[in-house]
Amino acid sequence: MPRLESALVRLLGPQRVLTSPDALLAWECDGFTVHKSRPRAVVLPESTAEVQAVVRLLADAQVPFVPRGAGTCLSGGPTAGTTAVVLDLSRMRRVLRIETADLFAVVEPGVVNADLTAAVKHLGLHYAPDPSSQTVCTIGGNFAENSGGPHCFKYGMTQDHVLAALVVLPDGSLARLGSPAGSRLPGSVDLTALFCGSEGTFGIATEITVRLCRDQESVRTLLASFATMTAACRTVGDIVAAGLVPAALEILDQATIRAVEASVYRAGYPADAAAVLLVELDGPTAVVGEEAAEVRAAFARNGALRIEEATDPNERKRLWKGRKGAFGAMGRLNTDLYVLDGVVPRTRLEEALAGITAIGAKHGVLMTNVFHAGDGNLHPNISYDGRDAAATARTIAAGHEILQLCVDLGGSISGEHGIGTEKLDHVRMMYDAADLAVMAKVRAVWNPDDRCNPGKALPSRSACAESAKWPAMTARILRDEVRP
Amino acid sequence: MSALGTAKTFVADDTAAVATFLGTRPARVRVRSGGSRQLRLPEPGDATVLDLSRLTAIVRLDGPDQTCTVECGLPRADLDAALATCGLELPCPGGGTLGGLFASDPIGASTFGGPSPRSLLLGMDAVLADGTPFKSGARVVKSVAGFDVHKLLVGSEGRLFVATRLHLRLKPAPRCVQWFCRTGLDVAAAIDCLRKLQQEPVPPAAVQLVRAPDGSCAVQGRFAGRAAFVAEMLRRHGLPESAPCWRDHLDPPTHGEVVGGATLVGALPVLSSHLPANASLLWQGGGRFEAALPDAISADAFLHTCANGGVSTLVVHGAPERRGHGTLRDDGHQRLQDGLRRALDPHGILV
Ligand SMILES: Cc1cc2nc3c(=O)[nH]c(=O)nc-3n(C[C@H](O)[C@H](O)[C@H](O)COP(=O)(O)OP(=O)(O)OC[C@H]3O[C@@H](n4cnc5c(N)ncnc54)[C@H](O)[C@@H]3O)c2cc1C
Ligand SMILES: Cc1cc2nc3c(=O)[nH]c(=O)nc-3n(C[C@H](O)[C@H](O)[C@H](O)COP(=O)(O)OP(=O)(O)OC[C@H]3O[C@@H](n4cnc5c(N)ncnc54)[C@H](O)[C@@H]3O)c2cc1C
Repeated sequence: MPRLESALVRLLGPQRVLTSPDALLAWECDGFTVHKSRPRAVVLPESTAEVQAVVRLLADAQVPFVPRGAGTCLSGGPTAGTTAVVLDLSRMRRVLRIETADLFAVVEPGVVNADLTAAVKHLGLHYAPDPSSQTVCTIGGNFAENSGGPHCFKYGMTQDHVLAALVVLPDGSLARLGSPAGSRLPGSVDLTALFCGSEGTFGIATEITVRLCRDQESVRTLLASFATMTAACRTVGDIVAAGLVPAALEILDQATIRAVEASVYRAGYPADAAAVLLVELDGPTAVVGEEAAEVRAAFARNGALRIEEATDPNERKRLWKGRKGAFGAMGRLNTDLYVLDGVVPRTRLEEALAGITAIGAKHGVLMTNVFHAGDGNLHPNISYDGRDAAATARTIAAGHEILQLCVDLGGSISGEHGIGTEKLDHVRMMYDAADLAVMAKVRAVWNPDDRCNPGKALPSRSACAESAKWPAMTARILRDEVRP
Repeated sequence: MSALGTAKTFVADDTAAVATFLGTRPARVRVRSGGSRQLRLPEPGDATVLDLSRLTAIVRLDGPDQTCTVECGLPRADLDAALATCGLELPCPGGGTLGGLFASDPIGASTFGGPSPRSLLLGMDAVLADGTPFKSGARVVKSVAGFDVHKLLVGSEGRLFVATRLHLRLKPAPRCVQWFCRTGLDVAAAIDCLRKLQQEPVPPAAVQLVRAPDGSCAVQGRFAGRAAFVAEMLRRHGLPESAPCWRDHLDPPTHGEVVGGATLVGALPVLSSHLPANASLLWQGGGRFEAALPDAISADAFLHTCANGGVSTLVVHGAPERRGHGTLRDDGHQRLQDGLRRALDPHGILV
C-alpha cells in the first residue's frame, strides 16, 4: 500500500479508508453522470479533529482532496479526479445543539437536510431551505452549494439561513466564521456568506450553525391546471404583482405531468393540461384565507381548467407528490437524465420556455420542464441514453444553448446547482476574464495551492491535469458526435 | 472633524471615471458616497477622496420582476420614493446613499431573521484599487454562478474595492403598517417582550430595544401585513400604536464612545448587566447593538467583558485612534479577512 494510504489507515483504521477500485465505484460521480472518475481513495472521518488530521496529511503530501456529502449534486461538484482523495462527511451526522429560544441549531455537515427538520418538528420548528433532494442531501452539501428549493421564493436560499461555521482550511488550520448572532461579525466582512456557494473549493465545513424557523399556523396548497404554458406563467406574474409572497410557486409542463402520472409518483394531475401550477401559502390562518381567495381569482382570470385545494395534510402530500417525484419520474424516460438549471427574470419566463422548446426540437432531444416559477429558476431536463455518444453530445449541445438563452434574457447559468465541472465551459457566458480573475484571487486566499476540490467552479487557465480534465471530457463527447 | 473637509477630492461621474482615476495609481484613496459615516472611520490622512455622490442614477427598475439596478451614490431616500410609485420597497433599514449603506451595513437586519443589505444584494459592478473594473453576481433573484464576491461589499467600508452599481432585490410594500412603542419597561420586562415577539411565526417587520441612560427601556418597531393581522399582533402583545419611531444609531455622549457588536436576545440580560448605569443601549432585532458609554475607560471595561463572554464588539465612534479598537476575532477568520484585503488591494490604497 502506498505511503499516504498507509498513513490514512493508521489515522482512521482500515474500515474508513477505501482504496480498491470496486469500493470506489460508488464515488465515481454525483447526479451529473456525464463526468465520471474514480478517486485515488475515499476516507470517512467522524470528527473535526479527524478531518483536520487527514487534511494535514494531504497537505504534507501535496495531494488534492474533495469534500463530499451525499453526492446528490447535479453539476459534478464532488466528483474527484484520479489523483484526489475524497473526504466523505456522511458519518458526521450529529445535531450538536438546538436552541429553541434563540432559534438556531448547530449541526455536523453530514446531517441530512430532512433529518434536521425531523429533529426539531416536535418543537414546532423547521429548517426552511428544502431542496427536492432533501431526504438525502446534507447540510454540508447545501452550504457549499448555496442550495435552494421550492420554498426559497419566500424564505430565501441556504445563504440566508446559515449563521456560522467551523471550517477546516486546506492547510489543516481552523477558521470560525460568523456567530449565532449573525453571519457577519461586526467590523468584518461576511465570510460565512462568501463560503456559502463556494462548492467545496474554500475548505471543509465541519460544524454549521443554521437558523430555525417557527412553523406557520396555517398552510394551504392549491393546484391549477392550464391549457397553455403562457397562461400558467401569467398567473404567476399576476400573483406576484398583487403583492402576494407565496411560500412556493412551482410549474410542471405537460411532458413532466405525463411522466409523473405514468410513475409511482402519480398525483392525479390532469394529463391533458399543458401546465400545472402549484401554489403554497402559509401564515396566520385568516391571512392565508384571504390570500387563497386572491390566488383563486388569479387562476380564474387566466382561464384555469381545474383548481384543486388540499384540505388536509394527506391531500397536501398528494399535490406535492408529483412535484417532489418529478425528477424520479423523468428518470424513467431513459437511462440518463440531464437536469439543467438556469435563471431568467420572472417576467421573461414565457419567452425562455418557448426558446427552450425550440432548442429541444432543433437537437431532437426529449425535454421536460419543472421549475421554481416564482424565482424564474428553470429546470429543463433532457432524458437521454448515456451509452449513445451522439445522443449524449446532442444533450450537452442543447444544454449549452439553453444556458446561453438564459444569459441572453438577462439571467444566470445556475440558480441552485452550481458550476461544478458541468458548467466550466459556460461560466464565460456571464463573466469576463477580469471578473474571473477577481474570483480566483478570492479563492486563493482560502485555497492557495488549489488542492481543495481542484478544477471546480471556476474555469482554470492552469495546465494542471486535474483542472483540464473535465472540459476535455466534455470536448471528447462533443467530438464523438461529428464522427461518421 | 476629520481631514476630509480639506482633502483632495476626485468626483466621479461613472464607472469608467472611477476606473480611470484609480488607474492613475493614487497613493491612498478614501471612498465617499454620502459622507455621513466618515466620522466613524479611521482618519484618512493624506488620502484623496473618491467622491461618488454624482453616481445617482436608477439604471433599471423592473417592478414586475422586483429587482433594480442603481448607481452607488444614489440617496436611499430617492430610491424609496421611486419604489413607492410601484408598490415596492427595499426592506432593510439605513440611510445615506446605497453605496454607503451597503458598504457600511451599520444596522444589519431590523428583525429576527429579517432581510439585511447582504440578502438583498444580487450583484454589482465594481472597480479594484488598481483600476480594473469587474462584476460579480447577477441581476436575477437567484444565481449561484461563481463566488459571491459582491457580498464582500457589505461591511467592507470602502477597503476592498469600489462598487459603482448595485443590483438589488425588492419586495412588495406591505398593505398595512403600524408602528408601536412600549415604554417604561425595565430590562427584564423589555427582554421578555422581545422573547415573545421572537417566537411569533411572523415576527414584527422591525423591532428594537432602546435603553436610556436612566435604565428605562422601550421596545419599539412596526408590524406589517394585512390590517387584521397587524391589529391582532398589537393586541396579543399589548403594544401601543405610535407614530413612526426608529433609531438607526446612538450618538456618543460628550467625551464618550459608542461600542458596536452583535448578540442574541438570550445574551441581552448579561450584556445589559455589564453596562454602567448611565450608559444607553440600542439593540436591533437582527442582533446588532450599539452601547453609548460615558468615557473610554468604561468602554474598555465593557469591551473586555464582552470579549470574555464571546460577544464580538468594537469601538465604532470615538477618538480617531480608538475606532475599530476591541475587535475580537478568531485567528483563522482574521487571517482570511487580512488575506482578502491583501489579495484585492495589495498596496493598501483604499483606506
Ligand atoms: C433529485 C434531485 C433533486 C434536487 N433538487 C434540488 C433543489 O431543489 N435545489 C437545489 O438547490 N439542489 C437540488 N439538487 C442538487 C443537490 O441535492 C444539492 O446541490 C445538495 O446541496 C447537494 O448536497 P450533498 O450532500 O449531496 O452534497 P454533494 O453532492 O456531496 O456535494 C456538493 C458540493 O458540496 C461540497 N461539499 C459537500 N460537503 C461539504 C462540506 N462539509 N464542506 C465543504 N464542501 C462540501 C462538495 O465538494 C461538492 O462540491 C437536487 C439533486 C437531486 C439528485
Ligand atoms: C444625516 C445622517 C447622519 C448619520 N449619522 C450617523 C451616526 O451618527 N452614526 C452612525 O452609525 N450612522 C449614521 N448615519 C448612517 C450611516 O452613515 C450609514 O452607514 C449610511 O448608510 C452611510 O451612507 P453614506 O452614503 O453617507 O456613506 P459614506 O459615509 O459615504 O460611506 C460609508 C462607508 O462606505 C464606504 N463606501 C461608500 N460608498 C462606497 C462604494 N460605492 N463602494 C465601496 N465603499 C463605499 C465608505 O468608504 C465608508 O467607509 C447617518 C446617516 C445620515 C444620512
